[in-house]
Amino acid sequence: MSETLLDIKNLHVWFKVYGGVLKVLNGVNFNVKFGEKVGLVGEAGCGKTTTMKALLRVLPNLALIPEGDIFVRGKNILKLNSRELADLRGRGLSMIFQDPTSALNPVFTIGQQLYDIIKYSAGSSGQKVANKKNVALSALHEARLPDPERMLDSYPIQLSGGMRQRVCIASAIATARDLLIADEPTTNLDVTIQDQVLRLIGDLVEKKGASLILITHSLGLAREITERVYVMYAGNMIEMAATSLLFKKPFHPYTQGLLASVPRLSGGGFAEGIPGRIPDYRNPPPGCRFEPRCQYAFEPCSKAMPPYIDVGDGHQVACYLYQNGQEDRKNA
Amino acid sequence: MTTEGMLTSSSLKNPWGRTLYSLKRTWYKFSRNWLSVLGLVIVVTIVFLAVFAPYVAPYPQHAGKFVDFKGKNQPPSWQHLMGTDTIGRDILSRIIFAFRNALLMAIVVLAVSVPLGTLTGLTAGYYSGTWTDTVIMRVTDVFISIPPIILALSIAAVLKPTLMNSMIAVTVSWWPWYTRMTYSLASSIKNEYYVQAAELTGASKIYILFHEILPNCSSSLFTKMALDVGWVTLVGAALSFVGLGEQPPKPALGTMIAEGVERMPAQWWIALFPALAIMFVVLGFNLFGDGIRDALSPEEA
Amino acid sequence: MPDVMDINNNILVAENLVKHFPINQSGIFKKKWIAVKAVDGINFSVKQGECFGLVGESGSGKSTTAYMTVGMYAPTSGSLVFKGEDIARPAVKRPMHLKKDIQIVFQDPGSSLNPMRNIQNILEMPLRVHNMIKKGNSIEKKVIDLLDRVELPSHYRFKSPITLGGGERQMVAIARALATKPSFMVLDEPTSALDVSVQGKIINRLIRLQKEFGLTYLFITHDLSLMRNVATRIAIMYLGKIAEFASANEFFQKPLHPYTQMLLSSIPILFEEEAKLKPNKIHSVGEIPSPVDVPPGCSFNTRCPFKTDICFVEDPVMREIEPEHYARCHNI
Repeated sequence: MSETLLDIKNLHVWFKVYGGVLKVLNGVNFNVKFGEKVGLVGEAGCGKTTTMKALLRVLPNLALIPEGDIFVRGKNILKLNSRELADLRGRGLSMIFQDPTSALNPVFTIGQQLYDIIKYSAGSSGQKVANKKNVALSALHEARLPDPERMLDSYPIQLSGGMRQRVCIASAIATARDLLIADEPTTNLDVTIQDQVLRLIGDLVEKKGASLILITHSLGLAREITERVYVMYAGNMIEMAATSLLFKKPFHPYTQGLLASVPRLSGGGFAEGIPGRIPDYRNPPPGCRFEPRCQYAFEPCSKAMPPYIDVGDGHQVACYLYQNGQEDRKNA
Repeated sequence: MTTEGMLTSSSLKNPWGRTLYSLKRTWYKFSRNWLSVLGLVIVVTIVFLAVFAPYVAPYPQHAGKFVDFKGKNQPPSWQHLMGTDTIGRDILSRIIFAFRNALLMAIVVLAVSVPLGTLTGLTAGYYSGTWTDTVIMRVTDVFISIPPIILALSIAAVLKPTLMNSMIAVTVSWWPWYTRMTYSLASSIKNEYYVQAAELTGASKIYILFHEILPNCSSSLFTKMALDVGWVTLVGAALSFVGLGEQPPKPALGTMIAEGVERMPAQWWIALFPALAIMFVVLGFNLFGDGIRDALSPEEA
Repeated sequence: MPDVMDINNNILVAENLVKHFPINQSGIFKKKWIAVKAVDGINFSVKQGECFGLVGESGSGKSTTAYMTVGMYAPTSGSLVFKGEDIARPAVKRPMHLKKDIQIVFQDPGSSLNPMRNIQNILEMPLRVHNMIKKGNSIEKKVIDLLDRVELPSHYRFKSPITLGGGERQMVAIARALATKPSFMVLDEPTSALDVSVQGKIINRLIRLQKEFGLTYLFITHDLSLMRNVATRIAIMYLGKIAEFASANEFFQKPLHPYTQMLLSSIPILFEEEAKLKPNKIHSVGEIPSPVDVPPGCSFNTRCPFKTDICFVEDPVMREIEPEHYARCHNI
């Protein structure tokens, strides 16, 4: 399982707006192996949704990709035409969105929507799906939904939020073969249901042998089911490590600040969080984008974006503090 | 060029700085679509022609009592760019003067319809579900069901057909559409949290209607107003086509078409150019209205 | 009007508070009305100067309770007394001094601030409504003063809410609530829509403001870790009734009600030390019933792992299990 399914290399994405260009993604490096569960953690505005949209090639018209490549199964998808792209989308990747209510069409039954998805996902490969109903029923069953027969005839409005999200998961699982992208799948759900849904996603992905990208702003959720985590800030992946390693010992000042901001069950009040705001993408800092807010910033930080530095066990940090000879800085 | 990054605290404090910034930003949103700019050019042209008609039209006297039977039915030429009509009047000049009446009608109709319709719509929308809503909206329904041309004919039958009377007729059937639009906007906006916050603090109903709800309707309102200038012109032309509205010899687009229809296809220019002029007005204001809608749409930060 | 509190220093007392929303399900020939039992008989009291936490999932009735306090809804029955005055009616029917004294901060700062107005107008509104502009003091100065209190720069008053970040918008919403110098503030999930790095800043500011102005807070959230660090006493609601009610320490160290235990065990946590503070994992089974269709007996019997026969027959009554620690369960 060491082959790479997805490899995003040095991706830059810009948006043309009033007053200039929003340089949102600033050289994103992100990869997922076959069968791996990867988390992508970042706050609002850091560019995680933009990265996924670039991957699915659904960026709006005023977006440009001046630099960078995205390889899926070895093919550079930024260079595909629309037919090849449709092929890829239907067969390989599927996505679960944040809000299940708007992801489901309210005027069609669950069954109709599932049939459509199943039909289109198989269509481009030329095969006709003999029994859509069976496929749909088994997908609903796998998503642990009660009474799948009746569910097929129900409308989304008759279901609760948790159930709708499970229907979305069912439809994604029914067609996913290689990669499932879950974009904040549990944000709009209650805590007890969140747990159930998250576990479901993890189990199904494992069963199918597919890979998972879990996008979230909640560190706790990422810790629950991922094997490896990327931390994103202002258009860059600033830290990447195996999940257990990251939470035990975060290296990047932003990650540390983030973890310190999470309220503890043991009490003790709140940390002040991280001072400042995310940079204005029209005029981003020339060097490390976290530099204006970083308490450890020193000279090289404002000159250029730091490279990835390996701090052991595959744990990578984009921070000058960990360059050779700088380890003492943090303690100074 | 000012960018958000350059919008410093000092430029914010200066009221002119703020106005300039928001004007520039609005222009940016407007001009993204070249068709809107085209619409703006057409609108400015029409307004200019209407305002300065006596100075711009090549034969301003042709817009009044004037006959020249020797020069009648002349095809388009260098002296008469759009030809002359059945009694020798220059069509181009008459069209320019006709724009005056068209715009005047649009202004009068909107000046009455918009305040009346907006006020009733806001009130009905805010009190939706109560008797106020029912009463206002059913009265509106009655007025909506009146066809403007029939009403104009009835008024003309009782009183004389004049421009003023046709304006009254159009206004009477026009204001309810503003009520409907504002009603649907207001009834959804009133559920927004910022309106609730104002209510809970104890703001007066007048304040809420005009300072919380109305500003959020402004983009739809202005867009509709821009589009309506074109549509009112069209309705006005229809009325003058059947002989209502501005009476000859004063020029009106519809009347000119009516005169020219009998002469088709031999003297095609007599009917065609006024028709193209109407199309010009409607198209221009439509494109302009689209641009207004883009310019006033709230942008993400 | 002098502050009238009872001997326990209670600023707000609710007794048997009920809110049912009628839904018309009449057919052509049959008239049928059903009630959504959003709040179904709750009793609680808030002491002056404390931060009272109300926790629950969707459908629990916590927001409805908050909205009744503020006056967005009128209770169907029961009593709600604020400083000795009966406030069981909607805001339109309340005297102005109550509207001045009780304020609310909503969850989503994006929709609680009018996008077509600038901050100056938004903050002026409550000042004008309650005639708080003294002669000689310009209203502009008062607005700058308010912005200063929430630590926002004074030039922000020219900006429109769209140009502010989520945290800043929420600070403006808080400033607006403070403008009338209230004594009681309802905070409805004030940080749920915000990033975790901003959360700490907002909460710390709220706590500082509380101390500075002697405010009383009714704090609502579904995030238990957050609640741990903010509230002095906590009540947990389920399907319109309070399940457990205790001081913050008691609540977290010794949760008595099975629902509390279930909720606490589902929180995703980040650090190993925290895991020990959670009760043992209780997996939630089944869906939350709809408030339209509350099961007979104890409303939690569809999901409770400890249910016995009596739970299907009789609705438990709130009892004081330990000093100042109340719970509603047959099996404690």
